[in-house]
Formats: sequence, C-alpha cells, structure tokens
Amino acid sequence: MNLIDRVIAHPGRMVVPLMGFPGTQLTHSTIWQNEFNARMQFETIAALVDRFKPDAAFFMMDLAVEAGAIGLPVVFPQNESPTVKHHPVHTIADLDQFRAIDVLYDGRVRTYISVMEQMAAALDIIKGAYVIGPFTLAGLMMGATELAIATIERRDLVHAAATLATEVIIPYGQALVAAGADTVCILEPTATFISPHAFDEFSGHYVRQIFEALDTIGILHICGDTQHLIEPMCATGAQGLSLDAPLDFPAAIAQMPEDVVLIGNLDPVRVMTNGSPAEVRAATHKLLEDMAPYPNFILSTGCDLPPETPLDNIAAFMEAGRAT
Amino acid sequence: MDPILEAMREDVLDGDQESVEDNVQAALAADIPAGTILTEGLIAAMREVGELFEEGEYFVPEMLIAARAMKGGLQLLKPHLVAADVQPAGRIIAGTVQGDLHDIGKNLVCMMLEGAGFEIIDLGTDVPPEKFVEAAQHEQADIIAMSALLTTTMPNMKHVISALETAELRQSVKVIVGGAPVTQTFAESIGADGYAPDASRATALAQSLLGLA
Ligand code: B1M
Repeated sequence: MNLIDRVIAHPGRMVVPLMGFPGTQLTHSTIWQNEFNARMQFETIAALVDRFKPDAAFFMMDLAVEAGAIGLPVVFPQNESPTVKHHPVHTIADLDQFRAIDVLYDGRVRTYISVMEQMAAALDIIKGAYVIGPFTLAGLMMGATELAIATIERRDLVHAAATLATEVIIPYGQALVAAGADTVCILEPTATFISPHAFDEFSGHYVRQIFEALDTIGILHICGDTQHLIEPMCATGAQGLSLDAPLDFPAAIAQMPEDVVLIGNLDPVRVMTNGSPAEVRAATHKLLEDMAPYPNFILSTGCDLPPETPLDNIAAFMEAGRAT
Repeated sequence: MDPILEAMREDVLDGDQESVEDNVQAALAADIPAGTILTEGLIAAMREVGELFEEGEYFVPEMLIAARAMKGGLQLLKPHLVAADVQPAGRIIAGTVQGDLHDIGKNLVCMMLEGAGFEIIDLGTDVPPEKFVEAAQHEQADIIAMSALLTTTMPNMKHVISALETAELRQSVKVIVGGAPVTQTFAESIGADGYAPDASRATALAQSLLGLA
C-alpha cells in the first residue's frame, strides 16, 4: 500500500518521532555499542517502541554506514554519531579505489540488515530503514566545500561520485527491503545548501533512481531549511518528505501534491531536548492545529532526536499527538 | 565607477577568478590606487554577493566560487596594499570548535570577512581550545571567530574562552561566535563579545567590535 493510503486509512494522526539514540537511556548502552551490535540496537529500538507506542519505528540514523563500507575513514566516538574526517576523492580516478568493493560484505552493513530482520520479526508497526543520500555520500567522499564548488566547476566529477554512491546505496537498500523494511528513508542533508536546479541535477536525479530500484515506500529526509527544494524533492518520486524545524509546515504542504505525505517537524533540539514537557505539549498542539486541514501529514520531529532528549518529553509528544 | 572596477565586480559575481586577476592587473596598470581597487572593486562585489545570498538568488556554491575569485584578486593586490601602507581591517583567527566537523558556514563567514578586508587565519574544523590559544599567542589576532553546528559542541566555545583567560589573553582579543544552534543569549552566557546569525552580519559585527563601522 502507498504511504498516502496508509496515512488516510490510519485512525487519527500517525505519530512517529524520529528516535533511536534516546533509547540508549532505556537499554543503558552507548551509541557505539548499538552501532556494532545488532542485538543491542534491536533491543534499544524495541524498548522505545514498547515505551512510547509510535506508529512506525526506524533503526538508528547513521550517516557513516555506507561510507565505512566503501572504505572511507570513519571515526567512532563512544557516545556520539560516527563521522568521516578525511575526504580522499579529488579526481574521477580517485573513485576507482571503491569500485571493487561489495558493500554487502561489510560488517556494519550486515549489522543494520540484521537489526531490520529482528525488527521485522518482532514489531507489528511500520518498520523503517535509513540509507544515505547520493549527494551526501559524495560529500563524504570529497568534502562538502569541495563538493559544493564542484557542482559548478567539475560537474563530471560530482556525477561520477553520485553515480558510484547510487550503485552502493541500491544493493544496500534492496537488502534492507528483503530484510523486512516497509519503508526506506533516504537521508540527504548535504543537499540543503544547493539551488533547486542543482538539487535536481546532482541529487534528485539519483534519488529517483534509488526509489525506482527499491520496491518499497520511498521517503526523502533533508535537514535544515529546505523551503526552496520542495518542488524538486517531490519530483524524485518520494511518497513522503521528512522535513526539519526551520520550515513553515502549512506553507510547505501547500506546495506539495496531495498524494505526497509531509512528515515533521517539531524542533529536535530547542523544543524536544531543551524544552519542558509542557512546552513540548504546547508546540505539538500548535503544529497539529496548523496542519488540521491536511490529510497528507504525519506528526514527527524535524530530525533525529539527540541521545540526551528527556524521555518525559517524548512521552509528552506522543500524548499530545494522540489526543487528537 | 571606473569601467575596470565595474568589470571586476561582475567577474567576482560570476566567480571568474582569472578574469578578476586580469582586471586587478589592468587596474594597477591604469594607476588606480590599490586601496581603491580593494574597497570599490573587491569589497563592494563581495558585499553584493552577500546580499544575493540573503535574497536567495545565490546559494552556497555560487558564494564559494565568488569568494575564491575575490581571494585570487586580493592575493595579487596584497604587495601593493603593503607598499601603499593599506592595513588589513584586522586579523581574525577562525575555526569550528572541537568535536564539530561542519565547515560550510565557517568557510562562508571567513570568505565574507576576507572580502571585507580582514586577514583570516583559518584553523579548520574540530579545533581544540589549545590550538585557538596557540594561534592567539603567535598571530596577534584582534578577533577569534568560532563556529559550532552541534548542540553538543557549543560548550566547547566556553572552553576556548576559559583557556584564553588562563593564558591571560582574554583581554587582548575579542571573541565572536555563531552557527545554527548558537544564540545571542548563549553568546552572552559564555562571555563572548558578540554573536552573528549569518556571514554578512558577522562581518558587520567584526567591524563594529574593532571600531571600524
Ligand atoms: C564567528 O561568528 C560566526 C557567525 C556566524 C556563523 C558562524 C560563526 N558560523 C556559522 N554562522 C552563520 O553564518 C553561516 C552563513 O550564513 C551560517 O552557517 P550554517 O552552517 O548554519 O549554514 C550553512 C551555510 C549551510 N548549512 C550547513 O552547512 C549545515 C546543514 C545541515 C543539513 C548539516 C550538514 C550539511 C551536515 N551534517 Co549535520 N547538518 C546539520 C545542518 C542542518 C541545519 N539546520 O543547519 C546539523 C547541524 N547536523 C546535525 C547533526 C546531528 C549531524 N551532522 C553531521 C554530519 C553532517 C554532514 C557531514 C552530512 C554535513 C556536513 C558537511 C560539512 N562539511 O559541513 C553529524 C555530526 C558530524 C560532526 N561531528 O560534526 C550529525 C551528528 C549527524 C549524524 N547523525 O551523523 C544537526 C545538529 C543538531 C544539533 N543542534 O545538535 C543538524 C542541525 C541537523 C538536524 N536538524 O538535526 C550561520 O549559522
């Protein structure tokens, strides 16, 4: 079933906070443990589902899985997200070092596939997986500033990197669908700062190919201020757009076709982490009220919740979301 | 405006570094004073680039290549500015704080500051407090400019300020901060001298702190 049909058939609003890291408070684990140990991560996600009863659950957001699998140097802090610190790609020839790699043999790729298998076997809500976006993976290969400049001056290099990224993301995404993912969400944060035209050429074009290759509900997530990208994001074939707190949601949804679902956008830091439960409740009610005229909306957070998000705030968000 | 400077302005807007450099040479050959080339050619163009960015006409890539073109011209102009005793507006040490690898915003801020005539010492990303202190000691900077994009790395701005205090350098440099999660209130709470929400306002802030605006 399409996302829009599921959303409309759902009694009341669907409520889906983007949470993974705060679950470490429930399983008393570190982020690092969850990133390497599939059983651990599954238990963390299951604990969140058990506690908060969301309408869908995603595994942990980790922008370094595919990057590590193709051999980029990833650093793993104990209790923060892993990241790529050095960016070795400066020419098309530099991409050759990655071509021989079958990412499905990578340990952390297998970890996430296993998390999804366990989620599929145990959870009776919508199960979601994340993959990195092609432009964002190109940014991890080349460095974001170099990538930005290359979108104007070395377009062939950007296309070569994004093509390679797409070839890596598709088999991983397919494996996640085979493992039981009901939806795959592409994370494309690095595309926030390019023009709509550049988005279409360097990100949207490849995102479309990924969605076409995956037999599943495709969602596109971009953090930051993406007001200028709504139209080209809808053109990727995404069934849902998961967008961030800086956006005016009623204005955003007015630009979207009615069969594309808008997902968001309570501020993960200012409201969900630093606010009180009363503030979370007030902000959730306000958002629900603003979005009341639109059936194609899922109540969510603008981005992934930080590990230290108070659990009482997540509870307040769920409660306020259910009260409609 | 002089047609050479007008052409230079257009070149910067187009990000055409070679052409900017050619026009800087042409302007020097035409005996236009180096200070005039800087303020009426390069700096004026970068101000316009900043405006186009704020209006949503330019995006990050357009701004980056415009800034690089400006920098090419500036490099050629530098010896002439020194000869004419035109001082940089000030020296600024910049960096993204420890634990934080986001650099696009910091790079834009650096480029706009450079475009406004400041000299920049860019320490890059993931910069520990000791590095800021060391640079402040050796570079005789007027300002330390810090960027943070993560809530978790914002406290590291405070650590830099404390390290400057310990090294008895706090009185001799101004500290400015910015980045998406940073606010004026936060800046005040850690004892920074100023906060700016974007790159052009960071430039105005630096100018006002040094009594230039
Ligand atoms: C000195 O005075 C000054 C004055 C003004 C100053 C200043 C200094 N510095 C900046 N300014 C100001 O002027 C600039 C120009 O006008 C502005 O700079 P900005 O940097 O704000 O704006 C730029 C021009 C464009 N904007 C950007 O470049 C940032 C865009 C977003 C989408 C973003 C991107 C692109 C990336 N990310 Co990151 N990323 C996000 C961002 C979302 C957002 N809402 O900002 C943010 C910042 N990221 C976040 C996260 C969580 C992360 N990111 C990460 C990684 C990445 C990428 C590598 C994919 C990429 C960075 C590429 C790079 N080399 O910079 C990870 C951390 C890596 C690390 N250790 O640093 C990771 C942890 C993700 C993960 N789970 O792996 C979030 C932080 C949440 C929080 N508040 O703590 C985030 C807000 C997204 C979100 N909504 O959750 C002003 O802030």
